[in-house]
Amino acid sequence: MEQPDLTLEHDQNMTMSDKSDSPEFRSLDKLEPILEFLYRRWWRVESLGLERIPSKSEGPCLIVGNQGSVFPWPALMLGHALAKRKQGARRIYVLADLESDLDARTRALLEGLGFLDWSSANMKTLFERGEAVAIFPEGISGLTKPFSRRYRLEEFDWTMLLPVVECGVEVYPVSFLGFDEINPVLDNFEVLSKLLKLPFYPVTPFFPWLPMPLNLVQLPVEVSMNVLKKADYDKVKSRDDLESVAKRLSFWLEGEIQAELNRMLRHRGI
Amino acid sequence: MANWSNLKTLAADPLDVFARRNPSFYERYAENEDQFGFDLATFARWEPVFRFLFEDYFKVETRGIENIPAEGRALLVGNHSGLLPMDGAMITVAMCNYHESPRRIRYLATDWFFKLPALADWVKKTGQVRATLKNAEALLAADELVGIYPEGVRGVGKTFDERYRVLDFHPGFVKIAIESQSPIIPVSTVGGDEIYPNFVNVRELARLVQMPFFPVTPGFPWLPFPLMFVPLPVRWMIHIHDPIDLGYEPERARDKKLVLKLAREIQYLIQKDLNSLLKRRKSVFTGWEESPVEEKVSNGAA
Repeated sequence: MEQPDLTLEHDQNMTMSDKSDSPEFRSLDKLEPILEFLYRRWWRVESLGLERIPSKSEGPCLIVGNQGSVFPWPALMLGHALAKRKQGARRIYVLADLESDLDARTRALLEGLGFLDWSSANMKTLFERGEAVAIFPEGISGLTKPFSRRYRLEEFDWTMLLPVVECGVEVYPVSFLGFDEINPVLDNFEVLSKLLKLPFYPVTPFFPWLPMPLNLVQLPVEVSMNVLKKADYDKVKSRDDLESVAKRLSFWLEGEIQAELNRMLRHRGI
Repeated sequence: MANWSNLKTLAADPLDVFARRNPSFYERYAENEDQFGFDLATFARWEPVFRFLFEDYFKVETRGIENIPAEGRALLVGNHSGLLPMDGAMITVAMCNYHESPRRIRYLATDWFFKLPALADWVKKTGQVRATLKNAEALLAADELVGIYPEGVRGVGKTFDERYRVLDFHPGFVKIAIESQSPIIPVSTVGGDEIYPNFVNVRELARLVQMPFFPVTPGFPWLPFPLMFVPLPVRWMIHIHDPIDLGYEPERARDKKLVLKLAREIQYLIQKDLNSLLKRRKSVFTGWEESPVEEKVSNGAA
């Protein structure tokens, strides 16, 4: 599998509309008007605490969030919000378990949006370069979560936090409310997903029933995202301590994000 | 069909029947004068009713009952549910009938119960205690099992779409636990939030009749008197976790930051367990069909 070239730099003051040669964010520049429309008009995203995330000059950081259903919209919306913020605009890289047999076009698109394969080497390289990295430790089961369990976190994969604890970067939990209702997943059609070699085959009220463009409609739910206080964890170096610290950090992050989701839901009402 | 055998003894002399059925519980508390008004005769009269609910109606599955110590003090901390706080009663029944050394649990109940004359008496006699710091300390000093629902009344009045979403815990229970050096036993209960689906809380009416909340459920307040309190036959699960020994010096109880952090960790532990129990539940009315693999929830507070 070819790893993307991580040595290319992009200008830290670059805005979304600037032309850039960076291969990683190629597609983002093209999709910027669409993302802007989704962010402002379609989902009317409201963000809280965005200023907590440090700017590029202040060094690397990790952002941990809850996954939305079917499409990784939380990553894109957060990335857009951060790239558009008035002070300290920056890009984020998203590390996720991309399927190894993903077709080349999809992979190129994802890489163009800032998605990279999750590996501790990639993560450490990005931290060394002082980048902001986002992970969604629910993994693929976060994407397939049925509507009845919306905003109930799947167990976090704590191994994703090992390189984080090793590098000792700041960790910011983010709660995304709304993305689980954009595509209400009723069921996961496993037979078809195996047949079509897809990671999952969701059945929603629209997909796959309605004719082509209509079945891809994303409901215009009002979305909010809250960046929480940065998580506090012990800085350790020894191998054995790393594991227990990463486990505790993952437990803490999961609890913080879930508790904030509960609060947001209670506040929002229905 | 429901099994009514648990209710057959209702007409008989309750204390006598209870003494024969549960001698160790009887001996433990028969001669015992209680400063908070526990009355074994009242407890014995009502126990069959709740045992019927436990065994035949809700068909409660209890896991980890052996984690409650046979002797000595402990704090049971759980997620609150159910409009009528049935969850406490169910744990009491489990403790009375399914533990190798049956004990009573003293729940700290909200002031509201003690405002109504008849109810206050009943609540006291079945073992509940008015929730004050002093009472909790006295109970723990007497090596009792103390039950606390740190969500408080807000937790009972949750609406149906908020079910099994733990509200922020009041950190007082950690303070008490550190001060009295007692272990905390987290308890997660699934089922209680669905017995009375609460559509909406009518705040104005609640204020008018001075209730902590005024729910609107499929039955309440529409149906005639006793029927409005009939719960749905939901399958329950009570999961009692391993005891957590906090291991801090009593002086640390004044460290507000530490206390809040520990309270949050226990809250997160219970919420995480609720999420995983809900994920493995087959349906509301049939529950967990095959006995699920015991999954150790990683314990952040240890």
